[in-house]
Amino acid sequence: MNSARRTRIVDELEAAEWIQSGMTIAIGQPTPMALVRQIIRRGVRDLTVVDAGFSLDLLIAAGCVRKVVSYYAGGGFGYPVTPAFRRAAERGAIEVWECEEGILCAGLQAAAQALPFLPWRGGVGTSLPEVNPDLKVFTDPISGETLIAVPPIKPDVAILHAAHADPYGNVQHLGGPGWIDLFMYRAADRTIVQVEKIIANEEVRADAWRTTIAGADAVVRAPYGAHPFYSRGYYIQDNDHLREYAEAAGAGEEGRLRAYLERYCREPASLGDYLERIGIKRLLALHEY
Amino acid sequence: MDTTYTVQELMAVVLARELNDGEVLRVGVASPVPEAAVRLAHLMHGPNMELVFLGARMNVAHLASVPMPAYGWDRRVVRWAESYSDTGHRFDRVKDWSNHVFFIGGVQVDAYGNTNLIGIGEDYRRLRFRGPGSVGTPTLSTHVGRYYIVLNNHTPRVLVERCDYVSAFGWGRGGADARRKLGLPGGGPRLCVTPLCVMDFAEESRRMRLRSLHPGVTLEAVKAATGFELVIPSAVATTAAPSAAELEALRTRVDIEGRLRR
Repeated sequence: MNSARRTRIVDELEAAEWIQSGMTIAIGQPTPMALVRQIIRRGVRDLTVVDAGFSLDLLIAAGCVRKVVSYYAGGGFGYPVTPAFRRAAERGAIEVWECEEGILCAGLQAAAQALPFLPWRGGVGTSLPEVNPDLKVFTDPISGETLIAVPPIKPDVAILHAAHADPYGNVQHLGGPGWIDLFMYRAADRTIVQVEKIIANEEVRADAWRTTIAGADAVVRAPYGAHPFYSRGYYIQDNDHLREYAEAAGAGEEGRLRAYLERYCREPASLGDYLERIGIKRLLALHEY
Repeated sequence: MDTTYTVQELMAVVLARELNDGEVLRVGVASPVPEAAVRLAHLMHGPNMELVFLGARMNVAHLASVPMPAYGWDRRVVRWAESYSDTGHRFDRVKDWSNHVFFIGGVQVDAYGNTNLIGIGEDYRRLRFRGPGSVGTPTLSTHVGRYYIVLNNHTPRVLVERCDYVSAFGWGRGGADARRKLGLPGGGPRLCVTPLCVMDFAEESRRMRLRSLHPGVTLEAVKAATGFELVIPSAVATTAAPSAAELEALRTRVDIEGRLRR
């Protein structure tokens, strides 16, 4: 019998195989782009995606998404609404589970606590319960107030990006986790965290207060793995690259968008191949300090 | 000092004058006018204000300048923050937000200050224009003491009698008790500031009312650009132009890159 503690380190190709067509996935901020690109590369389809912004847009553009749980699909770079989301939503090619930040947190928290719903006040009086019939307006039995019952949002897998983890899934963020990441971790059946650096278990135990996620199911070593997004303590957002995507997706020419997806998501087999394509000079220019 | 000013500079000054020392001012993404306004108020008359840019909370009244922009998602950019609400929670404490103020836009704004970030079109499943989504505005507008609607365009397409969808409840279909009836603790929208004018809400009906016309703008122009019938008071004021001191502070301490002058 093997008595050694099992490590949870996998590479991004193996981790991405956890995500199967039809699943619900939650994507944290900073954005775990190494995993997102592998999902696209594998041609996963019919996902329900809990996400916002450009990573959501990229997955829609690549045809991976059936349903979106989103509070915000704004992008900037000349596009107040991210282009692929806008087109797909207007065509009816994706279903939108309309929500907002507070409702999203309530739904994830309900899942984490195995509750049938959690109440939330933000959204009372708005169209949210009309356009999203899963949100039920109800009268609070204690005070008689009008509230919204938010059903659980249950991701099969949460995928996150963080600074560090040890081989056993103890994750330590630099500068704190993204605002939604812990909600996603708590709600999901399984969590994959890609990290800039894998650190020794001794280092975790030296200051266990720094551990933000206790027990990620898989750890993926992914230096620069959030590119073109930021990774706190490591690098800043690559606005030139995000603009390149926005222009490719926003031009409304299938060809340009397909060329982007081929070049950055489908052709590079691994994170290393992708980073080679981006180029070392560009990556080093994004250093945070 | 060139005392001619752009309409965006005027809007920032109008909003800055509205803000009181000791308040917590929350600014979301891509809102250059509110971003400038809160900085200007903070530096000119609000040493105890707290500015919250996305998740980053700060008081930087000691600084000579607080240039735009700043984003909470990048620690390099926000060196001013004292704390981040970005560490696994955002709306964990919404009680006692009576001294919190925030700023909202919309793809539509209606006669009672309801705003729409969802989209335009009768069939929700086939919107003619799909908006970005509600972000956190339903919760913020529910709880903050008051908020300001800030629009870059004043047209009949944006200012409509009734929003196709409401993502932040202002005054519903009107009435001073509209919010209380729903149990919404916050004070609702205070003003709507556009490139043409400043509007508030009539005390009883809570219908949008013209408060002041920006210098050089006619009443007819505002009526023509508004997709609903505004309440017009018997005497309409002119928006007070920025003072030399306000313009100097705005240009040398806040909007150093001239984003509001483009």
